[in-house]
Amino acid sequence: MTILAFDFMRRGLIAAFVVGLAAPSIGTFLVQRRLSLTGDGIGHVAFTGVGLGVLLRTSPVLTAVVVSVVGAVVIEIVRERAAASGDVALALLFYGGLAGGSILIKLAGGTSSALGGYLFGSLSSVSDGDLAVIVTLSAVVLLTMALFLRELFAVCQDEDVARVSGMPVRFLNLLVAVGAAVTVTVAMRTVGLLLVSALMVVPVATVQLVARSFKGTLYGACLLGSVMSVGGLVVSYYADVPPGGSIVMLSLAAFLVAAVSRKWVRA
Amino acid sequence: MHAVSVFDLQHGTVALGGRRILEDVSVTVDEGEFVAILGANGSGKTTLVRTLVGLNPLAAGDLRVFDTPVRQFRQWPRLGYVPQRLSVGGGVPATVGEVVASGRTGRLSRFRRFSKADQAAVDHALEDVGLSHRVGDAVTTLSGGQQQRVLIARALAGEPEVLVLDEPTAGVDADSQDTLAGALGHLSNAGGSVVLVAHELGPLASLIRRAVVMSQGRVQSDGPPPQPDPHHDHPDHVHQHPHADPPSSSTFGLDR
Repeated sequence: MTILAFDFMRRGLIAAFVVGLAAPSIGTFLVQRRLSLTGDGIGHVAFTGVGLGVLLRTSPVLTAVVVSVVGAVVIEIVRERAAASGDVALALLFYGGLAGGSILIKLAGGTSSALGGYLFGSLSSVSDGDLAVIVTLSAVVLLTMALFLRELFAVCQDEDVARVSGMPVRFLNLLVAVGAAVTVTVAMRTVGLLLVSALMVVPVATVQLVARSFKGTLYGACLLGSVMSVGGLVVSYYADVPPGGSIVMLSLAAFLVAAVSRKWVRA
Repeated sequence: MHAVSVFDLQHGTVALGGRRILEDVSVTVDEGEFVAILGANGSGKTTLVRTLVGLNPLAAGDLRVFDTPVRQFRQWPRLGYVPQRLSVGGGVPATVGEVVASGRTGRLSRFRRFSKADQAAVDHALEDVGLSHRVGDAVTTLSGGQQQRVLIARALAGEPEVLVLDEPTAGVDADSQDTLAGALGHLSNAGGSVVLVAHELGPLASLIRRAVVMSQGRVQSDGPPPQPDPHHDHPDHVHQHPHADPPSSSTFGLDR
């Protein structure tokens, strides 16, 4: 296959595979708590991190991890306090993140095409160093989710009950928030910040149409996510479109097929 | 012999969102007791039980759980809690078995696998609420009353010494109420304690030895339960509630 002849494509495919695996593992817990849009919010905040990295001439992935983790913790604290104005506070944070990023990148002398790479993903942008960071962080996210699976399921089912049975609820909530932030940043290179949340949510939404169990949904979504992610990247190469767009379009198509065929089976 | 007190709340005051919900409430529940918390809507019943299980902070007063000040209490798996819920929640499907097994999590340390004893406790809890045959089904396919039974089984799976239930009979069909009464009877016979919030007692009436009646955030009375209408506990009496059948998740739970 000619597609594997290029180093950047090999790196891109590996990155797409691990990100496609990791993103739905976090996404399952976000969907379970009806927090599907959290990933979008973190993506906006991470953009400021990217801008900071470009401005400081360090790795944008690294600064994005730091800024989005801080953002995710703030989001989680606002959520926990759940004040009436909670959702407005979150909205303000998101806008601030996007605006901050656009200004910082411009200040650093960045171009709008570089900007597009971060927002919608870019095939050629994954360097060897990036790949190492992406694989390591994805592995950390997957291992953490596996390690705390039981507790996370209990907390996401019912926070009050989990608290009464003595579980460290706040720690577990922060774990999901930080995991989401890390996933957003590692997925930034392939799907881009504006579409990263789709990779967390759409595979879960698709699998839960046909699954009965939580574990089935979780594992199925990870499998589907990695297939869609790699498949989308291949489409991106041949059709010359941004990978974020093709990955998400492919995922949405799978959702549509699942939804329609479920109707058929039931009818 | 002095019985161990499960909950000992003295002069408890609770304020939520700047509003005082409980005012100088003192309630003690001893081991093995079966207590109903009664009272009108807004009288503070739910706040009282949430305070007992440590979910609401006290603005004033003292709470001891199993004779230990609540701040130092660490043996939370000894408690089982069934909150008032419209349905078994969440955006992702889960099977009856998965939800009930999650009631075991508080008892497990991180690296311990789910053992045969854990599975036995889950099976037993499911049997107790009469849902063994639905173990592999998605909870959302169950009726409202059956979902309530799943929530109770989840608490029972943790093999608690005390079970605290918030309105377990609200919006639940007569069959499920009877099953629930059976399960609570088993727990009580085995020496467990039960504290439950209820609007009407229904088939639970015969189990309840003591009723704490709340009114406007204070304890109005505490003693033997009010006698139900004589025909209520007649064996042929069919207990019917206009809202009970068939329950759908959209029709109740507005007052949670």
